[in-house]
Amino acid sequence: MEREVIQSVGFRNIKENGEITGFRFKVRLPYYRGVYLSQLRPGTLFVDGEKIEKENIVWCLGGEDYTNEEMAVDFRTHWTPTDLAVLKVKKPGGLSQGYHHLKYGYCFTSSYMPPMMQESLDPDKENFVILPEFGHHVNERTLIIV
Amino acid sequence: MYRYDRKGPKRGVALYSYSAEFGLTKNLEDCFEDVCDMGAHGIEILANTHIENYPYPTDEWVDRWFRLCDKYEIVPVEYGHWIDSHVLGGRELTTEESVEMLCRDLRLAHRLGFTVMRTKMPVINGALEPVENWREIISAALPLAEELGIVMCPEIHTPSNLKGKMVSEYVDFINKTGTKNFGLNIDFSVFRSRFGEGEWVDPQYKANEPEDIIPLLPYIYCCHAKFIHMSDDFEETTIPYPEIVKILQDHGWDGYLLSEYEGADKYDPGYEVGATLRKQHIMLKRLIGD
Repeated sequence: MEREVIQSVGFRNIKENGEITGFRFKVRLPYYRGVYLSQLRPGTLFVDGEKIEKENIVWCLGGEDYTNEEMAVDFRTHWTPTDLAVLKVKKPGGLSQGYHHLKYGYCFTSSYMPPMMQESLDPDKENFVILPEFGHHVNERTLIIV
Repeated sequence: MYRYDRKGPKRGVALYSYSAEFGLTKNLEDCFEDVCDMGAHGIEILANTHIENYPYPTDEWVDRWFRLCDKYEIVPVEYGHWIDSHVLGGRELTTEESVEMLCRDLRLAHRLGFTVMRTKMPVINGALEPVENWREIISAALPLAEELGIVMCPEIHTPSNLKGKMVSEYVDFINKTGTKNFGLNIDFSVFRSRFGEGEWVDPQYKANEPEDIIPLLPYIYCCHAKFIHMSDDFEETTIPYPEIVKILQDHGWDGYLLSEYEGADKYDPGYEVGATLRKQHIMLKRLIGD
């Protein structure tokens, strides 16, 4: 597992029935403890500056796919920080060969802290105070599609 | 299973200390070996971090857990977990749902050989006060905790005060119910008496004197040996450790002091938390005399 939130291993196009339908990449959980899926706050993805809405991204944990709606109410499925999540992005034709700049925002609630702290969380913006223990919300990386 | 029979304050490490390295440059076995190097015999884990496939580890993982404990002469001391009542954005978990979560952790802690849990209650304000239904949640889990021989211990951490309302409410609950399955974990941050120049200090914080711990000793099953700054001659410069350890020894307190390093600098590139822990363990070893 790499220190960067966006991992280099796992970045490739998705081929279904002989057709490229999108691409995928992996992220780690930059937190000192695991979270339940309902704590996740997925945000927006930018690929080479092009905006991809969170509705076009499916999270895959432990081999299972989850939509945003499914994650929001799931407080029994747990994500441990030593596991990686696969993000599957819908994009007909996928990404072209070569370099691509990924910028992705996501965050998670600290479910034991006062609930009012949850309301101001924005996955696409950093917190007012950045605590290394909670990682950054927005992470960027340039990776290569072969 | 490995046993460590020493009486009095004993040394251990909270694996949370490795949070900047765990999963990246250190795995569970590396952490166990580091603790073994220090001659410490206790550990605290965070269930949600250190248990593979939490909350449903495989039998193979559990077998491996016990093999690691034997190999490195480690006692599973404290199982850190959360009652995650605020886990859904839109509503609070019901008392029943919180109890279900707590009982699942009690069973898993028992399966891994733990006898103490650091039970983190969801807090509702900056004074770290727990959710209003904490008594109902804990009461409902007491019979199972008794059956499994486990003590659930909220941690008392800065800015809370040992003489404050929260601690007296926990003690009242213990005395009213007469339970032996609910107690306290004292984090030594409550004794911090020195701060750096210009360092932010919570306005609610008032340092406890070491002797403030004495009336609470019957309820304390574990301590977090929090440390902030170790000097190069192995002294903690912000918390009166010699006085605290002496009080624990003089009063015959028996339990583990689990080192917990929380400094944000552990996330700096090149920082080695193992070195920081080892410095503290030289101090603790000298003070305890083990």
